[in-house]
Formats: sequence, C-alpha cells, structure tokens
Amino acid sequence: MRTVLAFRTILPTFTYHRPSSLAELLELKAKLGKDAAILAGGTDLLVDMKMGVKRPSHVIDIKGIKELHVLEYKEGSGLIIGPTATLRELETNSLLKEKYPVLWDAVRKIADVALRERATLAGNIANASPAADSAPALLVYDAKVELTSINGSRLVPLREFFTGVKKTVMKENEVITKIIVPEPPAGAKGEYFKAVRSAEDLALVGIAALVANPNNPAERVVRLAYASVAPTPVYVKEVEELFKKDEPLNKLIKEAVNIVLSKVSPISDVRATREYRLHLVKYVTAYLLRKLLGVK
Amino acid sequence: MAETITIRLKVNGIEREVAVKPNERLLDVLREKFYINSVKAGCLRGECGICTVIMNGKLVKSCLVLAPEADGAEILTVEGLSKPGKPSVVQRAFIEKFGFQCGFCTPAFVMAAHWIVENMPDAPEEKIKEILNSVICRCTGYKQIIEAIKYAIELKKQA
Repeated sequence: MRTVLAFRTILPTFTYHRPSSLAELLELKAKLGKDAAILAGGTDLLVDMKMGVKRPSHVIDIKGIKELHVLEYKEGSGLIIGPTATLRELETNSLLKEKYPVLWDAVRKIADVALRERATLAGNIANASPAADSAPALLVYDAKVELTSINGSRLVPLREFFTGVKKTVMKENEVITKIIVPEPPAGAKGEYFKAVRSAEDLALVGIAALVANPNNPAERVVRLAYASVAPTPVYVKEVEELFKKDEPLNKLIKEAVNIVLSKVSPISDVRATREYRLHLVKYVTAYLLRKLLGVK
Repeated sequence: MAETITIRLKVNGIEREVAVKPNERLLDVLREKFYINSVKAGCLRGECGICTVIMNGKLVKSCLVLAPEADGAEILTVEGLSKPGKPSVVQRAFIEKFGFQCGFCTPAFVMAAHWIVENMPDAPEEKIKEILNSVICRCTGYKQIIEAIKYAIELKKQA
C-alpha cells in the first residue's frame, strides 16, 4: 500500500490559511481542531501529505505571525525559541553554539542544509518522531514547551511531552508557541552523537550527553537522552542521581550503561537491527561518558 | 476545491503574478506556469534535492514549498545566473571541470554551488561536501562537482 501511495505526485486539496496574529491562529485552531494542520517549515507535513499519511482539510501557515518568530537568550532565564525559528537560524547562532553545545550539535546534524533552511525546532518536536534529533538534546537541557489554545497557555516539560510514536500531550486546539531552554548548569559541556549510514539520514541511534563539574560529586551533573531506541525519545533520569554518588567514575559509568540498557527498547527496521542498536547504545554511552568525564 | 490564490513573486529578476491552487508546490509553479524546466521533479519529498532553487537567498527544495508560501519571494534558478552569451563563474567552472555526467542533477548542483560561492567562499572541502549532502547525483560524479566548485571560488576571487 505504501508503494502505491508513494507515486502520488499531486498533494491532496485543502484550504490554505495564513493568519497574521496569534489571536487569529488560536481562533482558527479552536474552530477547526484536528482538521487543521499547522504549517511552519513543512518538511514533515508536506511529505506526510504526499505519502497519504496525513490529509488535513485545512493548512494553517504560521509564518505570517511575527510574534512567533523569536530566538532570544536572557542571562539566567535561558533561551526562548519561537515555533517559526528555523534549524538553520539555530545552527548559525554563535550564542547557541557556545551556551547550548549539545542542542547546536544536534540541530546541525538534522537532514541537510536546504531542509534546515525551512524546518523548525518546534516542528521537529511536534512531529514526535522517535528519531527526532533535537529531542534528546532538548531533554538534557530540561526544555519546556509552551502550548497555547484559545483558553490560555500551559507549560509542559519536554520530558512529559511525548506519549508514543508521533503522539504528544497536545490537544486538538493547542499550538506550540514557545520552546524554553533553561540556563544550562555552569560549565556544562556535551555533544550529540548521531550514528548514521550517511550524514542526511535518520539516526540509527542518537545520544545526547551533558556533563558539568565531573570532579566534584556534590556538584556533578550528568544527563543522558536517546533517539531511535524506543517509541518516544528517552530521557534516563536515573543517571543524574547515580552520578551524585562519591564513587570511582569508572564504576559509575558501568552502572550508568546498565541502567540505560534497561530503559531502552529499540526495534529492528530497515536502518538497523535491535541488537545493533543496543550495541551502539552500550558502547557509545560509555565512550561519551569517559570522554566528557575525562576518564581514561 | 476550485479556490485559487493570487501570488506575486520575482523569478530570475522578473516580477510575476500568478493564480495558484493551495496544493500546488513552488516546483509546479516554476515548471508548469513559468516553463522553467531546469527545476526537476524527483522524489517530491525533500530527499533528492533535484528541485533545489535559491529562495530569498536561501537554498531550498521547491517540492517542499507550497505555492502560496512563495508569495512575495524572490526565486533564482540557473536561468537567472547567466547573462546572454556569458555563463556565470559557477557555470563556467562546471563546464571546464566536467562537473556533470548525464546532466539531470546539474541545475540543482549549480544552484548549490552558486550558493556556496556567494555565501561561503572560504569553505573547506569538508564544508562543501556537507552542503552538497542536499542534492543527489546518481551518476555519482561528485569528485568533479567538488573540483568545479573549488575552481569557481578561485575564478570569483580572481575576478
């Protein structure tokens, strides 16, 4: 069935809306609910529509809403990313590279430059793919998602946002209006390791690791999050607790790897087998922890 | 749905106004309304990059832009690069370095190359390769394409 659908060259018909204010958008979304798809970059939506996975009768383009195009950092409170900020805008932001290296590293590894010119961070999150590269990075920074409807706004921790493959806690009348990335722990460094066959492909396994104060157990922060290892992106909260212990780092790394392995449940698909994914999780987690904690 | 939307855009320096259906893509408008056939339809899902154009100075895949989204945009395709009888530095470099085989992907690679030459003239080979990830050449003649881009950067610096 999928093969037949892949030959659809004309997109299904829909009504196009381009609101110019947030109030107008919320009203539309309240009225149209799940019949209306939000169009920001379109790099997931238009593909899903071409493939017949989605067939919305209304498409709401939010790029005309100036107040949603935000990318700003405030010392102490962190980074605010609006839903129309593109991945390319994030990738080329020197402050992001310096302050949020894990997020920057993940963003620049998504797809290719032409897609990143259109694709947005909010879209990557809203699409809720288990392979979303930005998700593990946002999880280690404990990002929050602001969801807004005609009835008001609520702030949802990203760690509670995903509920399944392409499923989230978002209600039919809600839209993402902000992603808030708090100030990282002082001195935090880290990276996003994306295991791929070729650069522009989806991750076989994606691992975000953030480490601060490796040599001081009381102040030490170690956070790990994963893509493509379960129905949703996975944040392994037990690891952060574990590394508060005043024990040899080598021992803690071994324990951390075992905890992680017990929290992931990868599948076998066209990209990799379950066994290979588990192998990657095991060795790359240990490699990243040793590297970031400065352990030989 | 018979509903149409009128959009205005500047294509290769010429102001155009055209009625489109919401579900038409920028790619469809360029090919079917303006007969710009250098922009090819390949996978239509943003993977092959054969429909690449420069939109408002950015490298984009025109199969993933709805026609109404392109309202007010400035579009550049290979037709807009050369002056009559005079190829651009990138076009000259592709000819001299044989940066093409069957030619099907060439317009897309020329646009990616043009973007690199204009925006990152100091790009090392690794960076050039990273940008070129967005377009696929099935003849796999990437080496000559990369040579051509490096040569085009040189030509531009000499000029």
